[in-house]
Amino acid sequence: MERKDNNQAKAPQGEAARILTEFLEVAITCIIFLKGVYPHGAFERRRYMNVVVHRARHPQLRDYIHSSVNGLLPFIQKGLVERVVVIFFDNEDFPIERFVFKVNLNLSYGSKVEQSDLEFSLRSFLIKLPVSESLTKLLPRGCRWEITAYFRALPEASTSKDSELIWIPTDTKQWQQPPLITPIKSMNSEPLGVQLYLEHPSLSEPKP
Amino acid sequence: MSLNSSSRSATSNSNSKRSVTSNSNSNPSTSGNNSCRNNDKRNRKRKTDQNQKTLGMAWGANSRSSSRSAFRNSPFPDFGSYMVMKNQKLHQQFDADASSSSVSGACSGKPIFDGVSIFVDGYTVPSSQELKGYMLKYGGRFENYFSRHHVTHIICSNLPDSKIKNLRSFSGGLPVVKPTWVLESVAANKLLSWIPYQLDQLASETKKQPKLSAFGFKSGPVLDDLEESISGQAVPQSGIATLRTSCSLEANIFGKAECTEEVEECHSVSDDPFHPNAAESADQAPTYCMENHCEVELDAAVVVQSDAGYHSHISPCQDPKSDHNDCLEDHIIEESSSSKTIRPSTTGHSTLSDANFVENYFKFSRLHFIGTWRNRYRKRFLSSANGFKDMNPSRNAFATSQKTTIIHVDMDCFFVSVVIRKHSDLKDKPVAVCHSDNSRGTAEISSANYPARNHGVKAGMFIRDAKALCPQLVILPYNFDAYEEVADQFYDILHKHCNKVQAVSCDEAFIDVTDLRVEDPELFARAIRTEIHETTGCTASAGIAGSMLMARVATRIAKPDGLCYIPSEKVDDYLHELPVKALPGIGHVLEEKLKKKQINTCGQLRLISKESLQKDFGVKTGDMLWNFSRGIDNRLVGVFQESKSIGADVNWGVRFNDLNDMKDFLLKLCKEVSLRLQGCGLKGRTITLKIKKRRSDAGEPVKYMGCGDCENLSRSVTLPMATDDVDVFQRITAQLFGYFHIDARDIRGAGLQASKLESADRNMRGHEKYSIRSWLVSSPARKSSMAKGKGDQLYSDIGPPVQARGSFSGGEAYVAHRATLPALHDLDVGVIESLPPEVLSEINDLYAGELISFISKKKEKNAGNNVMDEEQSLSNPLVPPNKDFVHNVAEKIKSSEKEDEQYINKMIQGLPETSGSVTALLPETDSLMPSSLSQVDSSVLQQLPEELLADVLESLPAHRRPDFMSNDVYLDHIRDQTGAIDFLPSNNLWVGNPPRWVDNFRLSSCQLLNRIAVLYNKSSPRGQFSSVLQLIMSEYPLDDGGDDAVNCLCELMKQYIKLKIETDVEEIYTCSCLLRRLTSRSELFLQVYNCIIPHLQAAVGETYGGDLNICFIE
Repeated sequence: MERKDNNQAKAPQGEAARILTEFLEVAITCIIFLKGVYPHGAFERRRYMNVVVHRARHPQLRDYIHSSVNGLLPFIQKGLVERVVVIFFDNEDFPIERFVFKVNLNLSYGSKVEQSDLEFSLRSFLIKLPVSESLTKLLPRGCRWEITAYFRALPEASTSKDSELIWIPTDTKQWQQPPLITPIKSMNSEPLGVQLYLEHPSLSEPKP
Repeated sequence: MSLNSSSRSATSNSNSKRSVTSNSNSNPSTSGNNSCRNNDKRNRKRKTDQNQKTLGMAWGANSRSSSRSAFRNSPFPDFGSYMVMKNQKLHQQFDADASSSSVSGACSGKPIFDGVSIFVDGYTVPSSQELKGYMLKYGGRFENYFSRHHVTHIICSNLPDSKIKNLRSFSGGLPVVKPTWVLESVAANKLLSWIPYQLDQLASETKKQPKLSAFGFKSGPVLDDLEESISGQAVPQSGIATLRTSCSLEANIFGKAECTEEVEECHSVSDDPFHPNAAESADQAPTYCMENHCEVELDAAVVVQSDAGYHSHISPCQDPKSDHNDCLEDHIIEESSSSKTIRPSTTGHSTLSDANFVENYFKFSRLHFIGTWRNRYRKRFLSSANGFKDMNPSRNAFATSQKTTIIHVDMDCFFVSVVIRKHSDLKDKPVAVCHSDNSRGTAEISSANYPARNHGVKAGMFIRDAKALCPQLVILPYNFDAYEEVADQFYDILHKHCNKVQAVSCDEAFIDVTDLRVEDPELFARAIRTEIHETTGCTASAGIAGSMLMARVATRIAKPDGLCYIPSEKVDDYLHELPVKALPGIGHVLEEKLKKKQINTCGQLRLISKESLQKDFGVKTGDMLWNFSRGIDNRLVGVFQESKSIGADVNWGVRFNDLNDMKDFLLKLCKEVSLRLQGCGLKGRTITLKIKKRRSDAGEPVKYMGCGDCENLSRSVTLPMATDDVDVFQRITAQLFGYFHIDARDIRGAGLQASKLESADRNMRGHEKYSIRSWLVSSPARKSSMAKGKGDQLYSDIGPPVQARGSFSGGEAYVAHRATLPALHDLDVGVIESLPPEVLSEINDLYAGELISFISKKKEKNAGNNVMDEEQSLSNPLVPPNKDFVHNVAEKIKSSEKEDEQYINKMIQGLPETSGSVTALLPETDSLMPSSLSQVDSSVLQQLPEELLADVLESLPAHRRPDFMSNDVYLDHIRDQTGAIDFLPSNNLWVGNPPRWVDNFRLSSCQLLNRIAVLYNKSSPRGQFSSVLQLIMSEYPLDDGGDDAVNCLCELMKQYIKLKIETDVEEIYTCSCLLRRLTSRSELFLQVYNCIIPHLQAAVGETYGGDLNICFIE
C-alpha cells in the first residue's frame, strides 16, 4: 500500500493513527473479500505486513474504502473514533452482521511509535480473519454493506472542508436487542489497542 | 462522494454516527443507486398497497389459489365465472331447502328474518349450519360467500386483530353481530335490533376503565409519571413568545430571563429572607403585575446586562421601576449562587439554566413526595412488616371462622392540616395548599381544608377561580418536612396499636384488628384517633367495618374528624343509598354506563343479576360490581406492596442546547435512579430510557416550560445482573440514548426506569438463597427448632463470621472479618453440627475448608469439650445475648437518629472486644443511615474501630461517599493491616508477577488449585489464563476440589474478566470457551463456569453493549 505524507504524523499518536488507518483499509478489504460480496475476480493478491492480503481492483470500491477510512484519520488522531464497523445489511436495511473494530488510541503515549512494533500484533488480525469465516453468517443475496464509524463525541463542525463532505448519515436500521458478540482478535499495546469482534442479532431480535 | 439527501431521515442529523454508504451490486456511491433503491421502495410500497386492497376480497374467494390449476380442464373460463356459478347453485339449493321446509310446514316459523341475509365468519356457537337452519326456518337468507350486495349482517363471535383494525375493508360497512342476535330474535319471535349485539371487540373500543388498583392503591411509578404534570404547574406564559422574538438572544441567556420572570412567583411562596419584599412587589405593586409583559422584557434585559454586558439593551428599558429591578436582579444572583435553593424556579426553570435541576425538580414535587414516601415507609417499618408476613398464613387459617374487623384511618385534608397545625388561628379559616401563590392565580390548588371546601374550593382548581369563590382564602406553600414528620408519627401510632397495617398512602391506611380480639373496635379506633390528634395536632377520621371496602365507605361517612362503625348487619342500609360512584373501581365511564341503565345507587345495582352484569361489563368488572354492591370485599389487609420498578421522570423544564447538556442531564438522572434504588435496597435488571421528543410541527408548548406535543420514545436493555451502580446506568443510558438519534434540542423530557427489581442483599451473595444473612433474618421463625440457649452459644462461638453483614463479597469487609475469626479449636462442635448444611458450608469456607476435617477429628475425642466450651461462652459477659437484644438496640437508635453515632460509639467503648458483634447492628440500622456522610460527625467516625468504620462506610450509598475526606485512606489502611494472608478473595489476585493468586493456590490445601499454580509457571505466554486452561485440558484425570476451590476459581476468573474485558475480549472469550469444554470433564468447572457467566455477560454488556456468544450449560 502506498505511503502517505508523514508531515502530520509527527506526534506518536499521529503515527499510530496512520498505521491504524492503513491497517483498517487492508482489514476492511479483507473482510469484504472474505464475505464474498463481490466476485473473487474483483480482488488481487498483495502482500502487506508480510502476509497475503487482498486488494480491490475496482477503482471505485478501492476508493470508497480508502476515502472513508482516511476520512477518519483526523478523528482517530484526536481519539474521537470509538468503533469502526463494517455492516452487512439486507435490502431492508436490516443489519445481518457487523464486524466491529473497537479502537483505543492512547493519546498520552509519549514515545515514538514504529510500524514494526505494531506490525506483529496487527498482522495477527490479518491471519486470524480468513480463518474466522466459520464464525460468520452466510449472507443472503443482494445484501449491501457500509462502513460506519461510532464517535465518542460529536466532532467539532468542519475540521476540514473536504472531510466534511464525504460523511452522510446512515440508513441502516439498529437492532432492538443487544447483539451477540463473538470476539475474533484483540491486541493491546501501549500506544494502541484494537479489538475485532463480530456482532450478530440476538436470538430474541424481532425479525423485520 | 455525494450527499445522500434523498433518503436522509429528518431526525438523524445530530447523531454521533457518520457513515459512508455503498451499494454492493455494482459501484458504490453513485446517485443512480439511490434512485434505484428509491424505486425499489416505491415498488414495494405499491405491492403492499395492492395487498391491502385485496385483503377484503380475499376471503370471498379463498380457494382461488388452490383451484387455479384445475381451471385448465374445467368448463369455466376463469375463476370468477366459476364462483358466479357456484353462488348461483348455492342460492338455488338454499331456496329449494327453504321451500321444502315451508311446504312441510311442520317446523317453519314466522318469517322474522325476511330481508336478512347473514354471512357467518369463523367459529361460532351455534355453528354456521345451525344458523343456516334458523335462516331457512325464519325466512332469512344464508350466504356461503361474502358479497356486499347480498349479505346484510355478518355473524361472528370473534375477530382477529387485523380485521378489527381494518374493519371497513372486512365488513364493507355491514353490521358485525354476535350469533346470539339470531338466537334471541328467534326466541323473541321478532327481529330484534342488532345494535346491542354488536361484537364486543368493536363495541368496547372506548377507553379502558381504570381498575381498582388505580383507585386506592397508588403505585409509585404511576405517581412519578403524573408528577410532572402537576409539579410543574407553572403558568402559561404568553410573554415568552414575544420575549423570544424581541430579544433574540442565545438560549442560555434566555433561560435566565425566564428565571427572572418567575421571581415574583417563587418569592411569595418561599421562606427566604426576601419574602416580604417580594410578596409586596407581587401583590402591592399593581403596575408591576399589570405590566407583566414589559417587566419580563425588562428583567431579561437586566440579566443580560449582568451576564453578558449588553449595555445597549438596557437603556431603552429604563423606567421608574429600575431600582426595583435591580433589587430583583440581586435576588436572582444571590439565589443562584447559594446551593440550597428554595424551589427549582428560584435558580431557573429549565435544565438549561440550573445545574441542579434534577435534584431540585424532585425536591419540590408533592407527588414525588407521596411516591417516595412509600420507600421511606418500607424502610422504617420493614421489621414489623416482616413479622406481619410471617403471621399471614395463620390468619388465613382462621379467617373463615372469625369475623374480621378492619379499620380504615385517613387523615383529614392532610396536606393542609399539617401545614396549619401550629397556627391555631387558621384552623377555621379557608386554607389551601399550593406550590405557588402568584398574582396571576394560574397555579393549581393541591389540597383545601373543609372551610375552604364549603366555599366550593376543590383540589385542582386554579387559584384565580378559588379566590373568586372564596376571597378570604389563605394560600400556603408545602412543607415537606412536616408531612414526613406527621406521616411517620401517624404510622408509628398505627404500628404501635396493631401489627397488621396496610399503608395506602402517606395519610391513609387500613389496619386489621381481628387478631387483637378488641372488645369494642369503636373504643379502639377512638383511642387511635385521639392519639393521632394529640401527637400530630391533626385530625383523622376512621371507619370500622368487616371489609376494606366497607371500612372505606365508613370513613367517607365519618369525615371530617369523625368515626363511623358499620356492623355487618347494617352494611345493606349504608350501601342502599350509596351512589355507585363512591365504590372503588367505578370511574366516569362505568358510571355513565350504569346511569344509562338507570342505576345510580348500590341499591339499584343490587337488583341486577351477576350474570347480566358480567354480560354487560365483562366477567371481572361484573363480578366486582356485584360483590361491591353487596359490601363483599374479599381482599385481605395485605402487606405493603412492593414496587415493580423504580425510576425518575422529568418532563417539565427540559431544554437542551447540545448533546453534552443531555449527557449531563442523563448522568443526573442516573444518579437519581441509582440513589433511589440504593435507598430501597434494590437493584434493577432492566433499564428503560424514555425520551419525549418534540413533534416536528409542535411549537412552544402552552404550558410554561412544559413538554407540549411530544412523541414518546422508549428503549430498554436487560442486563444479566441486577445493578444499582451509577456508572453502569450511565453507560447503558448513553448507549440507549445513542439508539434514538435525536437532536438534543428536540428533547422535552426524559425518564429512566429500573425494573425487574431484585433485593440488593440477595444479589451480593449471588445465587445462594440460604446465605447466613437470610438465615439470621428469619431466625425468629426458626426459634422453635433452635433452642434459645443454643442460639446464644452460636453467637458467642462463631460470632463474628455469622454476624458479618451480607456483604461477604466486598473484599475489604471480608478480610476484616476474617481477622477476627475465632481459632478453630474454640469452636463448639455440637453447635456447628446442628447448623443447617448451607450455613455450615459457608462457615467452612471461612475456615478454608478446614472446619469439616476438624469436626470429624473432634468427634473422635470425648464430649467433655462441649461442656467446657459452653462454660467459656457463658463466662463471656461481652457477648451480645440474642437477637432481641440487637433489636432493642436498633429500636433505641431509631428513636433518636441524631444520637446514633454516639450510641454506636458508646457501645464500642463498652464492648471493646466484640467489635464484630457490633457490626451485626448495621444491617438493622442500614435504613437509619444518614444519606450522606456530610451529615455525620467525622470526629465520631474517626474514633470508631477500623472494622466498624469500614462497615459504616460500606453501608453508605456509593456515590454519596466522595464528600468524605479520608474514606479511602481508611480502607487502604485496613487493607494494609490485614493484608492478603491467604487465598481468600482479595481485590488484586492478578497483581504482581507471578500474580498473587499463584502463591495462594500453591499454598492451598486443594490439590487442583496446587496443580493450577504449577501449570501457570509452565504456561506460555505467561500471564494469559487461557494458556493455563489449555494446559488443564491436557491434564488427566481432573480431581474435584470442593466448594472452596470453586469459590477461589470463580473469584479468580471474575477478577481476570475485570482486568481484561476492556483490552482483550478475545482472551476472555477463549477462556470461557475453554472453561466450557472443561465442564464436560469435571463438575467443578461446570460450577465455576455457570458462576462466572452472569458476571461475564454483565461485563461484556457494559463494555461492548452486547452479550458474548456463549451460553449456560445445564
